[in-house]
Amino acid sequence: MKKDSLVYTVVFTFVVALAFVFVLALANDLTAARVADNKAFATQSAVLKALGVDYADPDEARRLFAELTLDAGDATGPAWKATIDGQSLVVVQETGAGLWGAITIMLAARPDAGRVSGVAILAQNETPGLGGRIEEAAFLDQFRGERSDGGIDVAVGAELSGLGDPDPDNGRVDGVTGASRTSVAFGTIVNAALARVRAISGGL
Amino acid sequence: MLKLWKIFSKGLVTENPLLILMIGLCSAVAVTSGVANAIGMGAAMTFVIVFAELVISLFRKLIPNDARIPIFIIVIAAFTTMVDLAMKAYWPDLSESLGVFIPLIVVNCIIMGRVEAFASKENPLHAAVDALGMGLGYTWVLIGIAAVREILGAGAFLGIKIMPKGFQPILFFTLPPGGFMVFALFISMNLGIKRGMDARAKARLETSKEAS
Repeated sequence: MKKDSLVYTVVFTFVVALAFVFVLALANDLTAARVADNKAFATQSAVLKALGVDYADPDEARRLFAELTLDAGDATGPAWKATIDGQSLVVVQETGAGLWGAITIMLAARPDAGRVSGVAILAQNETPGLGGRIEEAAFLDQFRGERSDGGIDVAVGAELSGLGDPDPDNGRVDGVTGASRTSVAFGTIVNAALARVRAISGGL
Repeated sequence: MLKLWKIFSKGLVTENPLLILMIGLCSAVAVTSGVANAIGMGAAMTFVIVFAELVISLFRKLIPNDARIPIFIIVIAAFTTMVDLAMKAYWPDLSESLGVFIPLIVVNCIIMGRVEAFASKENPLHAAVDALGMGLGYTWVLIGIAAVREILGAGAFLGIKIMPKGFQPILFFTLPPGGFMVFALFISMNLGIKRGMDARAKARLETSKEAS
């Protein structure tokens, strides 16, 4: 068969694609269990992070997660209840639009949503180095213990010094410099999560 | 042997994909905010380019000319997906922080360029050596830039604080403008090295001429 004929081109391309599909299916099969495992662990560790619980290794995290939390998921998505140091808390997983794609967070707050216990990020696709810096502790730690009965305001622009907002009682955190749109979107998602915390505990 | 060394070494300095050919820059600026990312990205890229060049060189006489680009992409995409799956399974943190830049290796022009310009014309051994040189040339530049950016921008190396307590991190370097600046400095540094090498080679040539 001639190398440049149409039939040869089609058959060759088909065979190459078929061979690699087979190899990739095999690779997917080999890694699927581990990938699913990692994903489950990512969720559990995000819940623990939002609750402010420290763990040393994945095994301890799994044990703590099983001990601490009680599934309270609603129609919108997964949620958990936990009691830390005598304080009952509600954890919700909330997804909302970021600048480039969906951002999924884990938020822990008191049942009346009056104070946030902590926020952790499960998935985000923001610009690396700009919006992606919402993952950094310097930003997320501002939410720890923040008062939230009037919602939380993520300040952008020159409203704040850019060094973070250390006051836990003003319901305000400092956004990420150079990522105003991501910061505002993040605030919206946090407030949606707070509304869900209220809805979940209101049902009791 | 000398020929193999020549093929290998051109990727490191004289034809470095990032600093001389200046291709594949987008992901290079994006992932160099930390050394761990740079090592992960460099390793992933080197794996994909070596196997893509090897496979395409092996089948170069069979690949129909009209459909060569789609076939290159199938091969590159297959190896990239393998890297992506392996990272998700064994290094989930790294996979998380490199994000979309691993799947984007498929359309990285360093790999497309080398496959088209080199692997589809040369024998498998030469192709593999070329790919290794290009891959390592890419990796050393990434690690170098990331080291400068992480040390100055975060006061750390591989996530471990190394600067004295009083050091105020220069945030500028972890942001994209800092990345471009460090990149430019590496380009000029590499040009300096290249000129030095050229001058030495010329001098050697002249002395050997005089001797004969």
